Order: sequence, then structure tokens, then C-alpha cells
Amino acid sequence: MRYPGKGRGWLLFSPWILTFLLFWLFPLIYSFVLSLTDYRLLSTETHSLGLANYGKLLSDPDFQSALKNSFIFVFGTIPFTTVISLGMALLLNNRFRGRSFFRAAYFMPSITAMVVMALIFSNLYSRGGYLYLLAQMAGLNPPANGFLLSQKTALPAIMAMDIWIASGYYMLLFLGGLQSIPLELYEASRIAGASRWQQFRYVTLPLLKPMTLFIIVINSIKSFQVFTEIFVMTKGGPLNATLTGVYFVYENGLRRFDFGYASAAAYIVFVIIAVASALQFKFLKTEWTA
Amino acid sequence: MTKHSILKADHQVKVYLDIRCRAIYCLPMKRTLLLFTLVAAMLTLVSCGRNRSTATTIQWWQFWTDTGIKPTIQDMVREFEATHPHIKVELVDLTWAEGHDKIAIAFSSGSGPDVVELGSDWISEFSSSGHLSDMTLAVDSNRKDFLMWEPGMYKSQIYSFPWILGTRVLFMNRDLLFRAGFGPDFSPADWNELLNASQQIRKLGSDIYGFGSNAAEKHRLYKKFLPFLWANGGEILSAEGTSCLLDAPPAVAALEYYIELCKSGLTDTQRRLEDAFLDGKVGFVISGDWLLKRIEQEKPQLPFATGLIPGPRPNSTASFAGGEYLAINAASTHKEAALELIRFICSPENQLRFCRVNRTANPSSVKAASDSLFRSQPHFDTFIRQMEKSKSTPVHPRWVYIEAELEKGIENALYGDKTPREALTEAKTKIEALLAQ
Repeated sequence: MRYPGKGRGWLLFSPWILTFLLFWLFPLIYSFVLSLTDYRLLSTETHSLGLANYGKLLSDPDFQSALKNSFIFVFGTIPFTTVISLGMALLLNNRFRGRSFFRAAYFMPSITAMVVMALIFSNLYSRGGYLYLLAQMAGLNPPANGFLLSQKTALPAIMAMDIWIASGYYMLLFLGGLQSIPLELYEASRIAGASRWQQFRYVTLPLLKPMTLFIIVINSIKSFQVFTEIFVMTKGGPLNATLTGVYFVYENGLRRFDFGYASAAAYIVFVIIAVASALQFKFLKTEWTA
Repeated sequence: MTKHSILKADHQVKVYLDIRCRAIYCLPMKRTLLLFTLVAAMLTLVSCGRNRSTATTIQWWQFWTDTGIKPTIQDMVREFEATHPHIKVELVDLTWAEGHDKIAIAFSSGSGPDVVELGSDWISEFSSSGHLSDMTLAVDSNRKDFLMWEPGMYKSQIYSFPWILGTRVLFMNRDLLFRAGFGPDFSPADWNELLNASQQIRKLGSDIYGFGSNAAEKHRLYKKFLPFLWANGGEILSAEGTSCLLDAPPAVAALEYYIELCKSGLTDTQRRLEDAFLDGKVGFVISGDWLLKRIEQEKPQLPFATGLIPGPRPNSTASFAGGEYLAINAASTHKEAALELIRFICSPENQLRFCRVNRTANPSSVKAASDSLFRSQPHFDTFIRQMEKSKSTPVHPRWVYIEAELEKGIENALYGDKTPREALTEAKTKIEALLAQ
């Protein structure tokens, strides 16, 4: 048998390598270079600023509220999404009639385009929308102009929508995790006299660790990068109540074409996500393997 | 797995790989030839497209992609080519969602079309950065024949040609007004009458509102406040553009009035306000000629009227105007041909044709605006009259930042975080810091 030389292997590999270098690695490095300048898309001259953009960002009240909102978004959604999706996965891991229907139904929101979901929820949340009327009937006294136009409720409303959409997807991942747990372990624990709760606590949960870690990390990154919902529903308003890190980058980069400033903001967001992911890996791993 | 089975699996993989590799690398000669021919044919086609003949080819980027109006644009281009045999026009469609970015990226890389359609609020960023061709001398003789040159100007030079304009007027629900006790000819003449009518309508029911006011909706809210500011004699910037006048008494009074008006109104996004108007739930909305079209298509039986946006005193109306402009790329090598195309497209006859097909009320051509077309169609004359008392936002290279601060000021007052005076004083300070940069 004769095999083609090694070079050809690289040739086959090259489409991916090239796109990776050109459209991923190069922009990543180049945007860092840009973040040290006052580059604007339409301007003809560019000056080096050193770290001035970063300094300006840290004292920019808009950026501060953007970061604050991003953190609220992440910490406010992840516990709920994780617990709800785990709960749904546990329920749907049992055998009962119509199980596949529920699995499909819960997963449906995650495969619907975010723009569509956001538009639907804009209507549900506005004055006279179903959710608004429901809240009224429940005596919750919703804000006069709808949830999205009040500073207090706009961000929580988007977060609630996000939990609803994301839970189905993470449920599916949890289901995968649950089904990879060997049945022998449950059998053995039952013989040893473990209650259902003990089975869950000492068999299911520990064996779901890797999947839970994966879900929390992925969900943190996704939540920190929240953009489409904000873009469609509130554009960061009212009064910056829903301005998030990535929306700030968009507003400065693609609306104002202040690429230097936007790149610096993007790098700060990037570093925060990287550090947060590293921390999660470290903590969740050691805590659970102990 | 035993050693034997591993060896067996390894062998299978090798055989499989061998088959795959043959399939990829030993392409039959015929297929290779076919591929080669195809690539060659494509290259030829591409190069043909580049230099077709000796005629000058100019590219025009435009936004009218709707099937209702696109054929008219194409017809106009065809007629232009017929009357100007030495010029060929290549029409490229842009969408509102991404057109602005495409133009900015093309300009910044030194390419882009010869002629480009620009929204009035985009011109300053391109003209101030030197990407548009100065047409001051060439269009000097046309100055009197067209309206609204200001948005296309920068440092008293003209960088774009006004084409199709748009202004906002007051839409009112006749039925609600009648039920609130106003006669069939009533149209609020000043602020007091508007406020009073709005409050009376609000009393008709818990889900009936007087005035439709924009909520904190970026890039929209400020446009709704400006008619009140201007009608009251206020301005955003001083004439020289060096200071901000938002803390002056006329501006503060205008914002105070606007917020008072909102109290008897429905506060929502522009789209939902228009929905509510179509549903007959709101007495007044300020909107453009697109709402005429919507009413005609979705609710032709709606009893509505249009009027000038009232000012503080009778006959002190003002409104916000914008529109579509045609500009020439500074990097274009066919500027004269480009200008000829612009003149042709903006000629009174072609503007009239455009307005008739697209149901647009505000041509930039004075001659076209005086045509009987606009008098014969209901509501069009309101738009023509309002246009005469309309202004556009000041031209400034940092306008997007100024706009954001102005909007923040209005939002602060609207949400009750600050009094109108405090909010506007803060906006003024921030805007002046921007002006000083």
C-alpha cells in the first residue's frame, strides 16, 4: 500500500487552519493592538495611546454599569438555569408515557432563533401583553409601561426569559450525563440500603460533576456575552439598565466606529471571562474530587 | 480488547483510509479537466464584468429594495443609460440592517461605490472624515430649487444632494376627539390645546390614552422631543457649534411641557404606539408618512386626521426632518458621471414619479413639492406644509455622542430621576465636554 505524503495531510487540514489564523487568531491579536490606539473606522490618522483607553474605560460610568449588569446577569441566571435544567432532566429520566414529547417540548425554545424569541417576549412583557396581564391578575402590580420600559424590571425580565430559553438546552446535556451513569451503581446502593435521596446525593450528583462543571462554564461564558436579547428588546435602555459588556462593545465599535475604545472594552470582557472560567475549573474540581 | 482484535481493527482502518485517499487523490482525469475548465470560465466571466466596454461604469448603492419601488428605480436607471449612452450604471442594493456598516467599511478601505444613498443623520460622519466629494460649486445653481441642504453640509460646503425627504406630523384620532367633546375640524393650535385635548381623551377610559409618547428608545426618543424644543425657540447647539444651549429657558420649558404631556399619554416604543393608534386607543401620535401607508393597508376605516405639530403659541410649529441624500465617493474616478446620475434621479419629474409610486409625501425638489399630486391626496399637504417648518439635527462629527447625551437627559427627566432643569444642565455639561474635544 502507498500512502500520500504528510504534506497532503496539511493540505486537507489547511482550510480550517487558514480560517482559524485569518479570522480568529489574527483579529484577536490585532484587536489588542487596536485597543492601544485611537483608531476609528473612518479616520485617516491613528495615534498610539498606550493604556489610555483602558484607564478611560475604568472610569467610564457607562462601562461600569455595563459590567455590573453583566455580572448581575450571570449570577442571577446561572443558579436558576442549572437547578431547573437538572430538575427537568431528573424528571424526564424516568420512564413514563409522553416522555419524548416533553423532552422535545422543553428543548424547543433553544432551537428557535433568539431574535424571534426576543420579539415574542417584547410583546409578552409590554403593557397588555400576556405576561403583563398575568402579573396584573396575580396582584403583582407590574410597572405602568410594561416590564421592559422600567429601570427596575427590564433586566430581570430579560434574565427570566433567558432562563426559560436556556434551561431546555442544559436539560438535554444533563440527560446525557444521567444516562451515562451505570445502572449497577444504583442497584448496588439500593442493596446497601440507600434511600432515593441518598442515591441522588451520593451517586447521581458526584457522577454528574463533569457535566455540571461543563454546563456552568459554558453558561457563564454565554451569559456574560449576552447581546441579541438586549439588542432586540431594549438596546441597553432604559437609562443603561440593561446595558451589558458586549452591548457596550457593539455600541462603541459598530455604531460609533470607535474601534480602539471598543477593542479595549472587548479585551476587558475577554479577560473577565477567562479568569472566571479558570476559577470555576479550579474550585469546582477540587471541591468535588475531595 | 485482545491484541488480536486491536491488530484487526488497525488493519481495517488502514484499508478504509486507503480507499478514502484514492478517492480524493486519484480523481479521474476527466473530472480534473472539468474542474479546471469551470474555474477558468469563472475567471473569464469575472474579468469580463470588470472592463466590459469603453463606456464609463458607475456604481450606485441604494436602499430601495421593496418590490413596490425597486422597479421604478430600475426604470429610472435604464432611462438614464438610454439618454447618457456613455455611462453605464451598476445598481447595488443595501439593507437598512447592515447598509451603514457596509458603507463605512468600504469607505475606510478606500473603495466603495461612485454614488451612495445616505440617511441624513449619517452624512456628517462621512463628510467630516473626508470620504465624500465636495459638490458645492457644481450644485450652486440648484440651491434654490431644492429643500434641506443643511444635513448634507459640513463647514459650509455641500457634500450631498437632497433626494427624498421625510418629516413628522401630528396624527389624531377623530373619533376619540369627538367623544371627548371636540368638533370635527379641531386641530390643536398650540401646546395648551394639545395638552387639554390629551387630558380630555385620557378621561374616556382606562385603556384610552391622549398622547403617544416614546419611551426610552435609543435613537428615537430625542427625535420626538426636538419639535417641542425648536417650536419654543430652543436649540441644541449654538450657531457656531461651540456651546450647548440645552440648559436655556426655552429648552427647559419644552422638556417640562413634554413630560406633562406624557402624563396623560401612553409611553411605549414607536412601533407599539403606532399599533395603539391603529387600534384607536390613543388620541395623538407624532409620526411620518409611513404611518399613512400603514393605515391605508391595515385599517382604512380608521377615522383620523393629520395636522401640524403645535408649538407653544399658534403658528409656531416645528418638526424633525430627515431624508435620503445622494453623495459621491471622494475616491470615485467618475465624479462627473456620478453627478449626472444624481441630477437625473433628483430631477423634479423623477422625484414626482418616485413619490407617486412609493406614496411618499416629501420630495426635496421645490417644483415637485408644488405639484397638484400632493394637494389632491389627503394628508399629503399637511406633510408639505410641515416640511416648510422642519429642521434637522446639527451637523457635527461627534453627533452620535451628542445624541446619546441628549437622549440620556430626556430619559432622566422622563423617568423622574431628575427634574428637566437638572437633566438638561447635566446633558449640557457633557455635550460641551464633547465639543471641546
